[in-house]
Amino acid sequence: MNKKLLKRNKFYDKLAHYVITIGGVAVILSVVAILVLIVRVSLPLFQPPTSEIVDHKITVTEPLAVIGLDDYQENVFTIDQKGVLSVFSLQGQETVPPVDLGINHDAHIIFTSRSRTEYSLLWDDGRLSVVGISFRPVFNAEGTRSIEPQIAMQGEYASLPTGSPLLQSFFATSVDEDAPGTVRVNLHQDNSVSIFRTSISESLFGDVEETDESFVIPAYFETISALALSEDGRQLYAGTGGGTLLHWDISAAPVLEDTVPAFKQPITALGMVFGSQSLAVGTADGSLTTWMGVRDSDQSTTKKLRRIHTLTSHDSPVVAILPSRRDKSLLSWSAKGELHLDHMTSERNLYNFALGSVSLASLNDRGKGLIALTATGVQLLKLHNPHPEVSFKTLFGKVWYENYDSPEYAWQSSSGSDDFEPKFSITPLLFGTIKGTIYAMLFALPLAIFGAVYVSQFAPPHLQQIIKPTVEVMASVPSVVIGFLIALMLAPFIETHLVALILCFLLVPLCFVGFLFLWHYGQRFKAIHEMKSGFEFLLVLPVILGGVLLSYYVSPFVENQFFAGNFTQYMFENIGATYDQRNCIIIAFGLGFCVIPLIFSISEDALSNVPSGLRHASLALGASRWQTAWRVVLPSASPGIFAGSMIGLGRAVGETMIILMATGNTPIMDWSIFNGMRTLSANIAVEIPEAPVDGTLYRVLFLCAVLLFGMTFIVNTGAELIRDRLRKKYAQY
Amino acid sequence: MKNDNRNAIIAIEDSIVQVRDLNLFYGTSQALFNLNFDIPRNKVTALIGPSGCGKSTFIRCINRMNDLVDSVNINGSIQLDQQDIFDKSVDVIDLRRKIGMVFQKSNPFPKSIYENVIYGLRIGGVTEKPVLEEAAEVSLKRSALWDEVKDRLHDSAMGLSGGQMQRLCIARAIAVSPDIILMDEPCSALDPRSTAHIEELIRELNGEYTIIIVTHNMQQASRVSDLTAFLYEGELIEFGKTTDLFTVPVKKATEDYITGRFG
Ligand SMILES: Nc1ncnc2c1ncn2[C@@H]1O[C@H](COP(=O)(O)OP(=O)(O)OP(=O)(O)O)[C@@H](O)[C@H]1O
Ligand SMILES: [Mg+2]
Repeated sequence: MNKKLLKRNKFYDKLAHYVITIGGVAVILSVVAILVLIVRVSLPLFQPPTSEIVDHKITVTEPLAVIGLDDYQENVFTIDQKGVLSVFSLQGQETVPPVDLGINHDAHIIFTSRSRTEYSLLWDDGRLSVVGISFRPVFNAEGTRSIEPQIAMQGEYASLPTGSPLLQSFFATSVDEDAPGTVRVNLHQDNSVSIFRTSISESLFGDVEETDESFVIPAYFETISALALSEDGRQLYAGTGGGTLLHWDISAAPVLEDTVPAFKQPITALGMVFGSQSLAVGTADGSLTTWMGVRDSDQSTTKKLRRIHTLTSHDSPVVAILPSRRDKSLLSWSAKGELHLDHMTSERNLYNFALGSVSLASLNDRGKGLIALTATGVQLLKLHNPHPEVSFKTLFGKVWYENYDSPEYAWQSSSGSDDFEPKFSITPLLFGTIKGTIYAMLFALPLAIFGAVYVSQFAPPHLQQIIKPTVEVMASVPSVVIGFLIALMLAPFIETHLVALILCFLLVPLCFVGFLFLWHYGQRFKAIHEMKSGFEFLLVLPVILGGVLLSYYVSPFVENQFFAGNFTQYMFENIGATYDQRNCIIIAFGLGFCVIPLIFSISEDALSNVPSGLRHASLALGASRWQTAWRVVLPSASPGIFAGSMIGLGRAVGETMIILMATGNTPIMDWSIFNGMRTLSANIAVEIPEAPVDGTLYRVLFLCAVLLFGMTFIVNTGAELIRDRLRKKYAQY
Repeated sequence: MKNDNRNAIIAIEDSIVQVRDLNLFYGTSQALFNLNFDIPRNKVTALIGPSGCGKSTFIRCINRMNDLVDSVNINGSIQLDQQDIFDKSVDVIDLRRKIGMVFQKSNPFPKSIYENVIYGLRIGGVTEKPVLEEAAEVSLKRSALWDEVKDRLHDSAMGLSGGQMQRLCIARAIAVSPDIILMDEPCSALDPRSTAHIEELIRELNGEYTIIIVTHNMQQASRVSDLTAFLYEGELIEFGKTTDLFTVPVKKATEDYITGRFG
């Protein structure tokens, strides 16, 4: 029988062993699995761009003026120098009959430029044709899709009656609905620039009236080697052979805004970056930079051109710069046939093809296909770079975005406009997380630990039995309820009683000190002296309440007397500090309310578990209860208190709901307690519903999750290490 | 009142503690019954008796450690230097400074050996380093621990052996120069060698400190003490010179106990 029992025990032992092992391993595995999942989603952000050569059977015989690729990468269109537009399928077949865009069949195209989907073709007889080319999917009856070209002649402009012959000609259509019209800018052989503007206005009676204006910019003393016109036709840039960048505002009569003689090299190519805010400049030594108008001080209203980004240089003169029509990427190629695709903001060199010689190249509008005409023929490339705007620097560093006066840590994922560039700096979010946590812990730690010390060391037993469960019930209040209460009730209250709150921090300790004096003095009275120990602390409650009420009633007087009746206004005017209604004070209260029960409960357990022998030894040596608590019990319980604090910290770092509701969620970097912030966790909650799956925002949000994971991991590991050391130091026998 | 044991008071010329009509209740159950006896100054007094007879309860009265137990009710008096220690005007912290205590289970603080010894002085507000170091050395020497720990004063006290820990606790108690040292079964968790160490120490301290020691070990009582009190079910059965009590006990119960017939 004994043997049987032994066997059974052994069996249960083994069973328990396996079950426990499986449980432990499963926990670890699931944590690792979660981590792997979120890392996998965010990882493509950092994967290098890839490209793939697409086979095709297109051959060109005539010299070309324009080459292009549709968004579906199924059609290639070309305009040869005689003005014949052809559309080919990748098999080399012409999908539509060729269109002859020319009128005079002897003329040749000498210059082309592009604005949106409009190509302007300058003929050697001085005429300018504007043709819109786009592609559209069409479904036939069987449901098969074909891509059909849409070719529209937008305008024909006769040659200019006077002036020197044209070298280059640009055309732009205004997108401003209030001021429709077109602009044509010509560069003449004599180095002068002529501008023709047609404004269309509608009179009250619905009569459409066209007004023509023309201006001439006299020849600059250096040869103009490149021109660029913004898409709205209001800004004109020129680069000279002497290395000077010129900028005119041509929304009315041309005004020379900027002369930047910053290039030691002839400027060889200019190109507007998508959105027409920035200008890319290529020079004869192959350098490629982007420029933008920046206000040089907060007061000034005029903007001066400044170099913002420096992109990877070519090894020979830059021949052409073309913007991507999807993001801030730039396609550029050099005389020796180096073809680059760079992203302006992230300054990443996405692609670098050495093609020998490039005569024409183009990105399709989605930015996923690249076509180039080289000495060996047409090259077609399929590009895969879903996140060109992301680099380590744009995620964590200061980035100089368009419309900003200086490089900044900015998070702004979306806005109303189409050519808006999302800004994904995680730094303000990390900052916000740390800031919120610090303020919350500043508030919660002392309260929770002192509370735990009081309850475990001083409070009479029956009071202990009330306080502890009460505080623990606090832990079960859903954070959305806390968030709701503090956002909708506490925040407005504190906003109106800010001075009272600040006074509290002054008056409550004062009242407390006063109370201590009274208490000391009162010792000679029998009733006070014989008061049951542990209850004296309860006497403090009315004192604190008194301090709070005093602050409340005194604050209007103080505010009127010292702060001109309005503290926040006063603060703003005198130290420039702004006050957000949803700020860190609110967060400290809210997060505090949510972590105090955790810290309190764990600390209280740790304190109560200090062997009574230690307390007794200390008391028997004549230590007061306070000395005992401070010198013996607290250090002995420190590993537990520390663990509790760290669990509280971890909770505060990850807490979402309260932050979401009670801060403005503004991703600013400011330590002021009167401002809000945006934390990693709240950021994920705010943005994920609007993030297209697998888009950059989506992946950046997962990266935020990885960071959050990492932060809590570091906090917990660090805490565990420190706790281990504390435990060794204060090991109990 | 179960019986009148005033006859247990023996003539003591120089007593430091006078226990008069001491009754102690834990809630409603009485643990000490009408104790009356004097404890001589600078002598070792042993308390013996079967488990649960109230020895610990009694010595915890002397430094008022029973205050920590909520349910305790005491009447009667204990006079220490002509002052009733239960009087409201007595500051219990002062009282405990004068009375050191060594517990059954050694309880050094999780601090360094040095910090343990000077703990009493530190909380008494002594901050001068030389004074503290001097006191630490003297007390460690008095408690015969100095030679073993002098090279590792700043190591954690948790690294000491059980016997060393108990001697450290004694050093900690004598560092504040108390008038009385209470020892509640200080050797019960120790091996014979350590026990011998501590007994030697008690004999050493005899004449300088008033020591009240609770022990279950008759030999120990007879070896270290000058007087012995025998407690039984909360009552003082017999109190007298140790030599007398162990050789010619007056009471039958005492004889039964010391001869090992019960308890
Ligand atoms: N905190 C307490 N609450 C209630 N009763 C107690 C308490 N402490 C001791 N007692 C009771 O008082 C009586 C005396 O206990 P005490 O600890 O003084 O005995 P003792 O003589 O020290 O025994 P031992 O030799 O086993 O240590 C016992 O019956 C015990 O159950
Ligand atoms: Mg005992």
